Amino acid sequence: MFDALIDGLFLVLQWKAFSLMMVGMALGFMVGLLPGIGGAATLALMLPFIFKMAPVEAFAFLLGMHAVAATTGDITSVLFGVPGEGLSAALVVDGHPMAKRGEAGRALGAALTSSLVGALIGAVTLALAIPVVRPLVLTFGSPELFMLSVLGISCITSLSGLGARGQIRGFAMGLLGLLLSTIGQERQSGMLRFDMGLMYLWDGLDLVPVLVGIFAIPEIVDLAVRGTAIAGERKKENLQAGVIDGVKDTFRHFWLVFRCSAIGVWVGIMPGAGGGVAQWMSYAHAVQSAKDAKDREGFGKGDIRGVLGPGAANNSKEGGELIPTVAFGVPGSGAMAILLGAFMIMGLVPGPDMLTKHLTVTYSMVWTLVIANIIAVLLCLTILNQLAKVTHVRGALIIPFVLFLVFVGSYTSNGQIFDLIVTFLFGLLGYLMVLLGWPRPPLVLGFVLGKLIETYLFISVSRYGFAWLSHPVVVILIILTAIVIAYPFIQERRARSRRSGDA
Amino acid sequence: MRSGRILFSLIVIAVAGYAVHTASGWTFKAKLFPLTVAIPLIALAVVQIVVDLFAKAETERGPAVELDFAADVPFAVARGRVIGIFLWILGFIVLVYLLGFPVAVPLFILSYLSFQSGVGWLTSVALTAAAWIFFYGLFQRLLHLRFEDGLIQTFLGL
Repeated sequence: MFDALIDGLFLVLQWKAFSLMMVGMALGFMVGLLPGIGGAATLALMLPFIFKMAPVEAFAFLLGMHAVAATTGDITSVLFGVPGEGLSAALVVDGHPMAKRGEAGRALGAALTSSLVGALIGAVTLALAIPVVRPLVLTFGSPELFMLSVLGISCITSLSGLGARGQIRGFAMGLLGLLLSTIGQERQSGMLRFDMGLMYLWDGLDLVPVLVGIFAIPEIVDLAVRGTAIAGERKKENLQAGVIDGVKDTFRHFWLVFRCSAIGVWVGIMPGAGGGVAQWMSYAHAVQSAKDAKDREGFGKGDIRGVLGPGAANNSKEGGELIPTVAFGVPGSGAMAILLGAFMIMGLVPGPDMLTKHLTVTYSMVWTLVIANIIAVLLCLTILNQLAKVTHVRGALIIPFVLFLVFVGSYTSNGQIFDLIVTFLFGLLGYLMVLLGWPRPPLVLGFVLGKLIETYLFISVSRYGFAWLSHPVVVILIILTAIVIAYPFIQERRARSRRSGDA
Repeated sequence: MRSGRILFSLIVIAVAGYAVHTASGWTFKAKLFPLTVAIPLIALAVVQIVVDLFAKAETERGPAVELDFAADVPFAVARGRVIGIFLWILGFIVLVYLLGFPVAVPLFILSYLSFQSGVGWLTSVALTAAAWIFFYGLFQRLLHLRFEDGLIQTFLGL
């Protein structure tokens, strides 16, 4: 096994594989910066180019591109408040307020370093887990996955409002997100739901126009209202010092970064859950790690922990997603499903063969993830000075370019004018929500998880009746969900009794 | 703020009510999840309205985990700018619908820079050209993304 590990490294370092990885990285770098165009879409576009490549070269090219797209997506999230990828949306919540405060360098330094740490943890987990992961994945059936999704939504809703009233709005928006996810054809019966006679809605609302609209448009409106640069009238920060602060923050909160990376890996392993869920769950975990309600108040206003958590999970999930893809041929996400296509093109069959006959190829994937992430982060940290200067350019100059990228990004999801209309409508909704104090993250997570939750619920009920509620893992997850919902109330109660004790 | 929030709750109730009304005629499989979600949503929105109407005003600054809009711009100015930017966005969508992305992008950027940003013509043209080269080079040449023709080109058979 050790020999295969070393051989895998040398295979990636061969000039042809390495050069192709660099080409893939260059493409991933550009695509990651563009709002809305995700790594998955680029993987699909680049698939035809691998036919003449050897397996190691093909995976170096594809995985290099995919890994870098996830990293650079963080940059637009922080600088413009526009998710570079659907998956980077959670990073907007605290990363962009930091940029507005003139701390773009620090936020980017933290996001990129935590991404690197996350990627390394994900890759190490992939290397170690391959032989032992099978029983782990098999413990999670539909009932457990259903409860895991419910736990994810509970986490973010219970954290999204200050006080009991805020929680009402948080849970309402989570439910609204779930309701929006039911638009389109129902998977079991094939019935069309809430399609309003539009063929566009048959497949349901696409994630990209919804996410980009709800997060990017309110930021653009705010920039237009303020009439200043993104960083306002603040003096330019000492970026290098800021970046170094961000790097230090990663190690100052290393235990949090480690935990969030672990969440990313775990969610990545779970088939179908996807990177967006990993980011939001680790964001929720970062918020929940705050000592008390007061400590939590800074989240959403530019707390560095809100950047570190999603940053770490964003890249650690890559390693996690590869585990079921390589070991069982069960893709963990849309991007991995496309990668599975690459396996077929290369004539490789995911499963036992990848752990025996083609173990070197499998380890070359691990090394590609490690090397691509290290190069990408070092490159980003080197050019951050130039990138973060954008936050000091007059907003009126930036707005048309960001709008053009936002709408082109949305349009690429289906190639229809309706994509733009959905982006606009969700932009309007997002603006009203922020204005009136309704939280957006629960709505987004509900929307992301809705289809999965419905499917898992249906399978659980059809297969087990109500007996699934007594599965041991389900019971544990139900208890955890109850704790998550009750936790803010307990915190508030404790703070109140402490205050009355002090008085 | 309070009346705005009540109005928002009423819209949420209307949306969820429509969902319940529509779903009630579907098969059990199809309606199970929408009803499970929409009914509690109506209940929560009603509770929120009651709270907004009868409880004391909230002391918290607003939702945690959310962004803060600029508060230092006079209300009338802010309202004008909000309407303005939404009109620009709508205008861009209409342009794309009529002319397609390849024509709408340069036209929109040039118009915005010239009329809204107050940038000189020469700079506007230079920036627009740069944006168009980026658009053409990356999206059309490198990524081979397909952009539909606009209504006008289709109508004229261009």
